[in-house]
This record gives sequence, C-alpha cells and structure tokens, in this order.
Amino acid sequence: MSENKNNDKNIVLQVEDLHTSFFTRKGEYKAVDGVSFHVDEGETLGIVGESGCGKTVTGLSLLRLLPEPAGRIKAGKIILDGTNLLELSKKEMRKMRGKEISMILQDPMTSLNPLYTVGNQIAEPLRQHQQLVGDRVEEEVISALRLLNIPAPEQRLRDYPHQLSGGMRQRVVGAIGMSCNPRLLIADEPTTALDATIQAQYIALFKDVQKKTNVSIIYITHDFSVVYQMCHRVAVMYAGKILETARTEVIFNNPTHPYTSALIKSVPRLDRKDDRLYSIKGHPPSLLNLPSGCRFYPRCPEAKNICRDKEPPETKIGDNHSVYCWGVN
Amino acid sequence: MSDILLETRDLVKHYPVRKGVMQRTIGYVRAIDGVSFTIERGKTLSLVGESGAGKTTTASAILLLEQLTSGSIFFEDRDIYKLSNAELKNEYRPKVQSVQQNPWSSMNPRMRVRDIIAEPLVINAKLNKEDIRNRVLALMEQVGLMPEWADRYPHEFSGGQRQRIAVARSLALNPDLIVLDEPVSALDVSIRAQIMNLLKDIQDEYNLSYLVIAHDLATVRFMSHSVAIMYLGQIVEYADSEELFKNPMHPYTRALISASSISGPDEKDESIVLSGEMPSPINPPSGCRFHTRCIAAFDKCSVEVPEPRVFGTHYATCHLCDYEEGWITKSESKSV
Amino acid sequence: MNAVLEKTKQETHFTSGRLSWLTHIVKNLNFYIPITILTVLFLTAIFAPQLAPHDPIQISMANRLKPPSFLAGGSPEYFLGTDHLGRDILSRIIYGARISLSISFLVIAITATIGTILGIFAGYRGGRFETIIMRVTDVSNSFPPLLLALLLAVSMGPGFKTVVLALSILGWAGYCRLIRGETLKLRNADFVAQARIMGSSPGRIMLKHIFPNVVNPLLVIMTMGVGMLILAEAGLSFLGVGVPPPFPTWGMMVNEGRAEISRAWWMSAFPGLVIGAVVLSGNFLGDWLRDKLDPKLRQL
Repeated sequence: MSENKNNDKNIVLQVEDLHTSFFTRKGEYKAVDGVSFHVDEGETLGIVGESGCGKTVTGLSLLRLLPEPAGRIKAGKIILDGTNLLELSKKEMRKMRGKEISMILQDPMTSLNPLYTVGNQIAEPLRQHQQLVGDRVEEEVISALRLLNIPAPEQRLRDYPHQLSGGMRQRVVGAIGMSCNPRLLIADEPTTALDATIQAQYIALFKDVQKKTNVSIIYITHDFSVVYQMCHRVAVMYAGKILETARTEVIFNNPTHPYTSALIKSVPRLDRKDDRLYSIKGHPPSLLNLPSGCRFYPRCPEAKNICRDKEPPETKIGDNHSVYCWGVN
Repeated sequence: MSDILLETRDLVKHYPVRKGVMQRTIGYVRAIDGVSFTIERGKTLSLVGESGAGKTTTASAILLLEQLTSGSIFFEDRDIYKLSNAELKNEYRPKVQSVQQNPWSSMNPRMRVRDIIAEPLVINAKLNKEDIRNRVLALMEQVGLMPEWADRYPHEFSGGQRQRIAVARSLALNPDLIVLDEPVSALDVSIRAQIMNLLKDIQDEYNLSYLVIAHDLATVRFMSHSVAIMYLGQIVEYADSEELFKNPMHPYTRALISASSISGPDEKDESIVLSGEMPSPINPPSGCRFHTRCIAAFDKCSVEVPEPRVFGTHYATCHLCDYEEGWITKSESKSV
Repeated sequence: MNAVLEKTKQETHFTSGRLSWLTHIVKNLNFYIPITILTVLFLTAIFAPQLAPHDPIQISMANRLKPPSFLAGGSPEYFLGTDHLGRDILSRIIYGARISLSISFLVIAITATIGTILGIFAGYRGGRFETIIMRVTDVSNSFPPLLLALLLAVSMGPGFKTVVLALSILGWAGYCRLIRGETLKLRNADFVAQARIMGSSPGRIMLKHIFPNVVNPLLVIMTMGVGMLILAEAGLSFLGVGVPPPFPTWGMMVNEGRAEISRAWWMSAFPGLVIGAVVLSGNFLGDWLRDKLDPKLRQL
C-alpha cells in the first residue's frame, strides 16, 4: 500500500547538503557535515544515531535555532514547501516557527514554563501566528488538547505544569507543537524520559495525531524499538553524516551499510535469547578530527583500502534506499 | 541443587510523608511493600519495572544504603540485620558491590583512575602499596583498560570506558554479588554490547551473581537467568527468564513486552497500550494494585488482593490466573 | 582513546612558542592585573620598613597638610603629601597595608576554616546537628555586624584582636551556608553512594570525596572576601572601633581625611584608591576563578 503512496506524495521538506558547524576555542566541530534527506507529507522520518552524531543539531538547524554565536549553518538548502528557510530574514523565520515547523524537546519537565497555565502556553503560538483573541483562542486550545487526547481539556487548561504527571506534560508539549497545525513537527527524543508503558501511549497517540492532521514528523532518537514502532523511513547518522536511508522494514530486515547492520546486530533482542552480542569495536570519532575517507572505516569490519582514502558517494538501491558505502555495488 | 546466595523476605520500606510546621506524619509512601526473592550463586536476577516501582529502593536496601521498615535479608543463610557492625564491615559489605547507571557521576572527578579502583582495597583489604598497585593493574587489564591510563582522570574517558572503570572497581574486593543499576542505559548503542558482553564474561569467570535493575526488556532477556516484574512496590510476576518471556502471565508483563516489541507504523496496531499512569504509592489502589490500568480487570480485582499463583518456578499475582481460559478471553467478554 | 590523544596534542600545541605565551597573558588580563596588584601590596606589607620613606607615626607639625609632590606647593620629600599631623601619607599607606591585609587574610582563614568544617558536617550528617547549625547561621546573618563590633569594642577595648573577632564571629556563617549547600548536592552524588557501598567511613567520605569537590566555590568566595573585609575593616575604623591610632589602617586614614576634605583631599583620596584597587582585584580574581573552575563554562 505504501508503494503507490510514495510516488504521488508531496514532498514537504527537502534538505540538501546541509553543513552545520560549531566554532569553539578548540576548533571547528563539524556537527552536521553534508546531510541530504526529504520528508513526505504525512510521513514520519526517523533520524537515528548515537550521541554526538549530529541528529539533534540537524533538528535545530531546520528551525535555525542553533546556540549563537558558536553554531552556524555553513551551507546547504532547507526547502519547506518550496521556500528555502536559509534565505529568510530572521523575522520571517520567526513567523515560520511554531506555525509551519515546530519542535518537541526531550525533557517535559523543563520545556514548560512553571509560571504559566497549560492553556496559556498552548495559546501563545496561536496569539503569535493567527492573531486569535478571546473565545476563539480557548476553542483552539481545547481542540489542541483534545487532539493530544488529554482528558477533561476544559479543566486541564487551567492547570499549571507541576500539577500534571510526566506523561501528561509531554502531551501538553505536543499540544503546543501542534496548536497551529504545522506542516512539519520535529520531535527530539520525546519519549526518552518516559516510562515504557507511557512511551507506548505516546507513540500510539502520535500515530493517531498524524493520521488526523497529516503532519510530517521528523523523529530523532537513539532507540531502535521506538524507530520501528513510529517511523516510515529511517536515516542512520554517524559522525555528522547520513550513512543510509531506507524504509523502516528494509533498515531492520535488510540493512546494507555495515554500520547499520552492526548496530542492529548489537541491540539485544526481545524475541530470542542471545548468548553474546555482536559488538562494534572502538568509539565514534571526534568531530574535531574526522578520519579521511569514509568516517566509519576505522571501526568497519569490511573496510577496504579505498574506504580510507575517498569518501563514498551516494549509491541508490531502488526507490527510497540510499547508502554511502564503497562496499555496495 | 540450587545454591542460594541471597534471599530477601517481605521487604517493606515506607517513607513518612510530613506536612506543616509540626512536621506531622500524614501518610506513608509505600516504596516497597513485601518484596521477596532469591538470587542464586553465579546467576542473574533482574528487577524490571517503571520508575516508582520500587526497584531502586530494593537495591538500596541490599546495599545497606537504606534502612528497611521491616523484612529480612539473608546472605549465605545469615540474617544480615543480626550481624554485628564488624561482621557487616568485614563479611557482608565487601561481598556485595555495585555498578551504577551513570558513569559520569559515579566517580569522584578529582581522583585518578588508579585511586578510584584502589579505593575499596585501601578501605578494606590489608594489602601493602605494591600489592594494591599490582591488583589495580590486573583489574584494569581484566576489564579491557590499558594499564598506562592508570594516572588519568575520569573526564579523559568516554562513557563506555568509564563504565569499565566502574566494573573494575566493583570487582576489586572479589565480591559474590554485584548490583547493576541500569548498567548500560546511559551508554551509546554501539557501546552497550561491549559492556554487556564484558559483564557476562566476568560473571562466568568468577561465578558472580548479579542483581540487575533495568527497564529495557531486551537487555533483561540477554542478561538474566530469572526476572521479577515489579509494579507499585510489589513483585507481580517472577519466573525464570526464558519461561517469563515465552509465557508471560500477568497483564502488566504482557503490556510491558508489547510496549517494547516491534510493530511498524502502518500496521494494524495490536500492541497493548495501557491507559493512565502509575497511581501514587502514598495511596495505592485497593485490591490488586494494577486494576486501575489493567485492560482485563473485572469486579473482583478492585476488592480482593490476589494471592500469588505458583506454577512450578513461575508465579504471578493475578486473579485471572484462576481462569483456565486465560485472561484475553476474559477481557474480550468484558469489553463488549 | 582517540579523543584523549587529540586533546593532549592540542594542549601541547597551545602552550608552545613565545607569541602564544604573550597572547595568553593578553587573553587573561583579568587574572594577571589583579594578581599583580595583590602581590605588590603583599610585598609592600612585608617589606614596609625598607620601603617606607618616613616613620608613619612620626608627627611633624611643620609639615602639616602638604600636598602631593606633583602638585603646586608639594615637597619632593612627601610624594603623596602629608596629613593634618604632618605624617607622610605614602608611608602610612605602606604600613597600613600590614594591618589591613593581615586583618582580612586572618579573618578569611578563620571564617573559611570554621565555615567549611561546620558546613560539611551539617550537610553530610543532617539531622539535629544541621538544624542547630543552620539556626545559628540565621542568627549570625540577621545580627547587625556594627552593633556586635561596638559591643566588642566596649567590652574588650578597640584593637586588632577586636576587629578580627568581630569580623570572624559573623563571617563564618556565609561560608557555612554555601558549603552546606554544596555538600547537600554531593551527599546524594553517585560516587558518594559508591564510597558507602565500598565501606568508607563518614570521616573518609567527607575528607576524600566531599571536601575536594567544594574547594572550587570555596576559593571563589574567599578571593571575593578579601575586598569585602578590607571594606569592613575600613568601616569599623571609620566608626572608631577599629585598630586605635596612631597605627595606620587604610580605613582610618580615609576617616581622618574626612575632616580636612575641603583643604586636603589627598588625605582620604589615596588610601581610598588603594582600598578600591584591592576590592576590585579581589572581585576580578574571584570572577576569573569561577569561570576557570566551572567545568560547564570551561567546555565552550
């Protein structure tokens, strides 16, 4: 069913060759070093990777919310519905945030202001972007709360964050993100701080929200089981680059890049008992001093001479599957 | 026959909740409420549950970091609460060590690796300096650290290497039991496998027992010989690991397994999603504590506390275990 | 391992060469300037007899209220002029450094030691001991320091000891509160739990694990304390409960100049400048230390 869906779907976001660096006293950290991907309408793209691989910086770059002045987008295009976000003025970009793109952060405890009611915080983007006033605001707030399946929304909107549990708070954060019906929602590890059963609720909820609103989601995480449950397609990031992009089933059942397959093999399985886990030797490289050629070659079990010397180009294997590896032909 | 290293009987820990100027006790947080299990020599028991289930309190009691309200802990058939202070210091403490979750905070940032690993030896063992130095280097080699790193400080290491340092430190006194509190959850995916393999190798080599505290079921299945599932301060299901994953009985266990198993975004969602959140441990629900969230709950559940039903080595505290047709049938008949 | 090698490589690169040594100084002027000022004053205090051109308490009515030598009417003999009793201002400032600096350093040593010990105990031990200590610090903080100083001066007579005592009795409370707060954070740190699991005694934990980790904030407020205490001593002298004349302290010199401010502004201006320099140096040094020692600020 998804095959024909892909062909006539609108592309909501197209990112081309994005480079983002942090300039510090120690030098330039190439946090995102030439990343390209796209997200279709109503699709969830997972960005998976280990800490420091650049997945969060990618998300922040899309919103142009990098910590100033250290972080800077050096090159690339971020095209949302035909507009290149990198060409917008600061003021124009502010209008996009919350309205066209919004973001959910990891920690529900710190992403809400403790001094304002839930209703007030959800109303904020509505007042900013849609110039709504009075009862219309409250209606919209209640519908946002209802969208996120928050029980008794009329009462909840008068609550302060500390009166809600962690799971409820994260739903409120979701409601803020969805209040203006954005085209694209970036979720950065939104369930990492939650317990297993609450996480399951949240994921089920977000699939439901997506069906109702057709929003596109970029889901940033390190957790493969969440990726499997949530995402249509997956981009695997390593040391600032995407190494493989493919449909979720392909990533799990037929991974092509040695890093992807090694990662999947190294995660313990719930459905069988392993005696030993496959383990990848070494550690991810420093972003200050990346290896030449393919950045995974020092840890790669299948490394060849060419891997050390030249960076591998993109190889397309059928629709929606691309790999950056010399081993693929 | 099995060789039991540690046994807990009916551990209870209630924290008083105080309020007002007079600090009057207005209630109790029932952090753990009757927890019993056994750990065999050379085997791993995992405690699984969500935050607030009482896993950490249980572990803290075993590590003597918390005073229990009631209950007893037997170590090599001796009640540790009846040991003298000297016996505790010399015969219990050194035998029960721990590795904590966060390798960034579990070490004094102002000590060198050499001193961090040596510290338990300095405190407890009667070794001279030369012996300590050799023991530290041997331990470092054992866990895969280069001996020339001994003079470095913790911040010079990555998370995985720090966790190796923590493992080396916990091994220093030749313990019988190591409490592993989420030993890999703070680590990167590609590093987790290295540490889990290391822990297994060490267990085999020294015939160590592990008490693992974890929330990730796949990690638990890989690490454990037996598993106890905790909910609101109580063990709701307890079985050999393989038995538990093949034949989970308690609805909560089934929901947990469902939450971490694999089902894609477009597929018909068959996973069990529990509604609501864990109630407050100050005022736990009547009857079965899980009934407020259980998708199979029926009238009896809110009234009567379920007795543990034992099936060989497997036990679960759920009224549905009385019904032969199983709980799914029951829930379907109820939900219509 | 790679990352570690990386780091050492960089550090060696950073410190090599004369040029980078110079840029290092320029980049850290907010450290080098105050440390130079304080060192110079320290040495001045130690070598006062050798440095002072005149006897600081020798009265010479013939030379009353001479302006500084670089002003009209000034005499080259008295570089910074003389006071209403004809004493050399420069010599008095030089000797004054002895009393002013030794009071502030002594008080810092006493208050920091008491405050740290009590703070660590209160924070780590908790319970009734903590409650009592904290109530005592509340009282200390709410007690007017001038009133205490006046009471002490009345009962003991003004003097060096009185000043040190007056400033110490209330001063430790600030240290105690800060150190207790830090200790409370550390008490629940994983590595402290780990030490308990290994069987460490409370004394060892406080000494080996808590104390080294509170040294940073301690140093910061100690350096800032230098300036504060100089000001406090000046205040006490100003009120006449400080070290009694004729021995010079900077505060007293400012006080004495007050009466002659319209005729001889230099009497209070120069000691005032020195006080300002010390206070600023202490604060700058404290800020610098805080930035240097805070690992979060160090990262970027």
